[in-house]
Parts: sequence; structure tokens; C-alpha cells
Amino acid sequence: MTPLTLEQARAQASARQETTLKLKEALIDCLALEKEPADIPDDCLLFGVGLGLDSVDALEIVVAIESEFGLRVEDEHMKEIRSINSIVDLVISGGELQAEVA
Amino acid sequence: MKLLEGKTALVTGASRGIGRAVAVEFAKQGANLVVNASRASAEMDETVELIKDAGAQVITSIGSVDQEESARAMVGAAVETFGSLDILVNNAGITRDKPLMMMKEEDFDDVISVNLRGTYQCSREAARQMMKQRSGRIIQVSSISALSGRPGQCNYAASKSALVGFTKSLARELGKFNVLVNALYVGVIDTDLTKKMPAAAKKTITANIPLGRVGTPEEVAGPCVFLGSDLSTFVNGTTINISGGGYV
Repeated sequence: MTPLTLEQARAQASARQETTLKLKEALIDCLALEKEPADIPDDCLLFGVGLGLDSVDALEIVVAIESEFGLRVEDEHMKEIRSINSIVDLVISGGELQAEVA
Repeated sequence: MKLLEGKTALVTGASRGIGRAVAVEFAKQGANLVVNASRASAEMDETVELIKDAGAQVITSIGSVDQEESARAMVGAAVETFGSLDILVNNAGITRDKPLMMMKEEDFDDVISVNLRGTYQCSREAARQMMKQRSGRIIQVSSISALSGRPGQCNYAASKSALVGFTKSLARELGKFNVLVNALYVGVIDTDLTKKMPAAAKKTITANIPLGRVGTPEEVAGPCVFLGSDLSTFVNGTTINISGGGYV
């Protein structure tokens, strides 16, 4: 793997922050969470002790990801729906996969 | 007033019988159609012509409903061509009637696969789109065989009973997305499937129907239009009995 230049690393970090914010806003909207994006830590678990979501909420999250980012969440990706960070990883890798296919 | 104006419907098993009647009635009510059958045939071509004659747009999607790729192709075709999928009618079904002692494993598996797994595959794919739309209708074609049982139909009755539980669970899952899921207990209807029934069995069944006759595919299409239309916006997770009063 070729090391990143400083500019590339900054661009990647900035893109990730943007994706994270977009995801939090989408989840707040679709789940009607009474929170601001800043109230949700990036490593916050979505289910159980974290945001306390349930399996029906998981459907909302899948719909939000697919609608917001234009990705298709496949069965094998479902295990990644566990925290903000893990979904952002999925969205970023999904985007890369789609770019490779294109 | 056309009840399904501007809606897009996918009907599986549409080459003949109930599926064809539903697709044609939907067309008459203003819907665009995606029609499915497991293979291309002259009958399927005839269905397409009837839909066109009714003034609707139609595309075909050939494939077995129990395969994920087929389900994806059907829903994909609807969305790419018409921009949405508003109604799914899971009608495709087969029979392999035999007494249990003579029923081979493949007789059981084939029926469960097409009738139940097919409904799973198509509903799953349709639900994905309908949840995004925040609107949709899924209609499962079950059978009175699920209610009353019938000798030689352990496989078929099991698959059709399962559809009812499937419908109730899915209705609960998708209700918050404004996707309504309902089923039909279809009685004895004059189709190719029932033509295979022994004459004596058919006669006994008809004698038990207060209307004194079997139903027509068009008489199943009407309730499907109701469930697909804005006349049924608070009907969810239920089953309509279309048996002429033969099973009440």
C-alpha cells in the first residue's frame, strides 16, 4: 500500500467527518432522535446500552444508509450495523467498491 | 375513477389463472405492470397482450420466484422502468398433491420453495424498495387449504398456512413504513391448478359452497385491487376469505 501524502490524509479525514455527520443527521431524522449530531459519539453503539435501538430501528437504519449514500446493504454487511464508526467504515468501503466496479 | 392510477404493480405467476386475472384487472384500474413467470411461454405473451389492450404499460421478468436474483431482477425492473414499486402480489404457486406416504422429499421441497421461499424472496426485495418509498402493499395469495386442510396437500397446505404467519409478522415489521401486508384465503377457483383435482373431490367441494359454484380468477382480482388501492389504507396483517362462503 502506497503511503498517503499529508494532503491525501487530510482529505480522507475530512471526507470521513463529512460522512459521519451526514450519517448522524440521517439517523436523527429517520429515528426521530431528540439529539444533535454532536451528542452522539462516533463510537456510540446503536443497540442495547448505546442509543438503545431495536431490530425494527435496524430496518430504518438500513433504509437511511441506502437512501442517503446510494448503497445497497447486503446480508453480509448487516453485522457492520452496530455503531456510527462501523457504519461509516461500511459506507466508505462501499463507495470504494462501487467505484471499482464502475 | 381508476383505483390504481399511476401505481406500479408486480404480479408473480402471471402467465395464467389468478395471476393473469389480477394483472389484467390492475391494468384496467390504471396500474403499470411487471409480470413474472418461471419461463417464457405463449400464455405469458397472451397475458402481456391483454394488459396492453387494457391500456397499461407492461414489462415481463422471467425467473423462478424462489431465487434471489430473480426477485432482484423483478423489483429492479419495476423501479428502473416505472420509478417505483407500489404493489407486490405474491401469486406464484405450485402443487404436487400426493398422500403423505407417497409424497417424495422433492414434492415437499418444491412446493415449499416456490410457495413460501418465493414469497420470502420477493417480499424481501419489494420491502427494501417500499420502505424507502414509505409506502407499499404486499398481497400474499394463500388458500383455504391453509384453513381446512385437504387430503394430499400436506405440502401445499403447510406452505399456504405459513404465508398467513408470514403476513402477520411482516405486517408488524413494515407497518411503521406505511407498507401494508395482507393475504387472501382463496377458495376453489376455476384455474389450471384446480382442473387437476379429481372430479369427485371438486364435486364434493362445490356442494359445500353456498353459492353452488367455484369462483373465477376475476373474483380474486377484485379483492386484490381493494388491497392495492387507497380504499384499504387501514387494512393490515389480515386475511380476506374468498371462498364463496364455503369456508367460514
